[in-house]
Amino acid sequence: MRSKESLLSALLSYIRDVCMGAWSITESCLTAFPYVFRWGDLRKEVTEGYPDPVSSKTADDLPPRSRGLLFNDIDRCTGCKECQTICPSACIHIEEEPGADISKIWVSIFDIDFSQCIFCGLCVEVCQPASLVHTRQYEGAAYHLTDLVASFGRGQVTEEQRAKWAALRQAIESSEVSST
Amino acid sequence: MNLESFWVVSWVNSIGFLSGLPEWCYAAISLLCIFFFVLIPSLVFIVFFDRKLSADLQARVGPNRAGPAGVLQPIADLLKLLQKDTRSPWGWIESLWISIHSMVLYSSLAVIPLGSLALLLDTEMSAFLPFWSALVLALGTILLGLSQGTVAGWFGGIRVAAQALSGAFPALISLLCTGVRAGGFRWTVLAGSQGFAPWSWTVASNPFQAIAFLVFVMSGLVLLGIAPLEGGQSMSDIHGGVATHLSGRRLVLFRFGRFYGFFCWSVISVVLFLGAWNLPLQFRELLVRAELYPLIGFFELVCLLMKTFCLMMVIVWIARVNPRSRVDQITDFTWKVLSPFSLSALVGAGIWAGWRAFL
Repeated sequence: MRSKESLLSALLSYIRDVCMGAWSITESCLTAFPYVFRWGDLRKEVTEGYPDPVSSKTADDLPPRSRGLLFNDIDRCTGCKECQTICPSACIHIEEEPGADISKIWVSIFDIDFSQCIFCGLCVEVCQPASLVHTRQYEGAAYHLTDLVASFGRGQVTEEQRAKWAALRQAIESSEVSST
Repeated sequence: MNLESFWVVSWVNSIGFLSGLPEWCYAAISLLCIFFFVLIPSLVFIVFFDRKLSADLQARVGPNRAGPAGVLQPIADLLKLLQKDTRSPWGWIESLWISIHSMVLYSSLAVIPLGSLALLLDTEMSAFLPFWSALVLALGTILLGLSQGTVAGWFGGIRVAAQALSGAFPALISLLCTGVRAGGFRWTVLAGSQGFAPWSWTVASNPFQAIAFLVFVMSGLVLLGIAPLEGGQSMSDIHGGVATHLSGRRLVLFRFGRFYGFFCWSVISVVLFLGAWNLPLQFRELLVRAELYPLIGFFELVCLLMKTFCLMMVIVWIARVNPRSRVDQITDFTWKVLSPFSLSALVGAGIWAGWRAFL
């Protein structure tokens, strides 16, 4: 095999091979060693190359009818609960009560649980005032399940507030009755 | 057998009706003590640290569910494996395998050098006995592979045979190197030729002994088929080889046999090359003056086990960060690299020892 080589050069190349093998083993050991103690940058968890500059889409690149995370404009929401009724995965939770004005509903809780949402878009289609829309945002990762619940409600009404509104409604109603 | 010096004997004798047992009973009790108080705790410790260290090196999390930081994982694994596959009958070759492994375990426990506390037997041939045990362990593993009745098992058995044959030669030669320095193969002689300090270890005495140490460790890994140099148990090409169809209790026994080989070989490497169980001289004198003889044995055992665990962790470190070698590469490496190096180390160590004697 190595007939052309002299014995010495064959021996030298053999020793060089052994040394290179030993060095490659040592090198890989040293490369991995900082991971044991999480030195330097290894301490923090990072995901490199995200979003991928080559293939990833940004929100602007998405097709026009793409269904991202839901958003509810609570000022336009009438609290009709159509979305809650039609939701196949029952991920929308709405609580409401009469507001100050009799024509207005106070939507105290409007929670969408994105851990259960299947992004079918039915709720958006049935929404009469078009307050519930799909945004273009799709990065919804969270560390805890509870972080995946998006709340759009106006908040719970206190007891005295409720009494005040009831009196207000009463006043409006009685004034309407008296005017007719 | 120097049973008289073993603490178990006086302990057993102190229980009135047990005194005056035949010698083999004492030997059996001592072996069981070593087994349950040294070997099993070491296994649990090593299995856990092996998994944690591998996970860290490969940037994984590792076991973290059973107990704090996953310390109970080995026990959980054991309990899981023990309740699986409890009914399938044992074939006769499998029975042969298990009896060979038990015999190896039983016989080599008596000669495994665990400090003066647990050294039951010390002969002129001591250093060779665990070496033959390793070969017999390989024989048992070959039989296990052949008993599987599958191609993977047969190939695993053949590979284990090839590895054992190729690993035995350099291991034996590098074993001779230490004998050349220490002037004998008794454990006490080998340990006595070294000290506690690293520069008094055999491995540091001259470059040929350092080569012999590396060759000894690596050829042991080849001989027993342990992590960085395992071809017979390769997962990627023969699906675990001899252990393909093992599950439940059999897998526990198989893994234990492998661990035992690994542990035993590391202990022997430490005793031969890394200063054995020697304590610092002043510390030992202090204990002798206080007449705390059992404590000396205990500290010697602790010292030895610490070094052993460090050596095993280094091997695990190398194994987990390097790609697995093919079986032909392993045997090639053993015959073409380890064997010439061990022979040259033997020649060099002999000349060195002769030169020192001449001076």
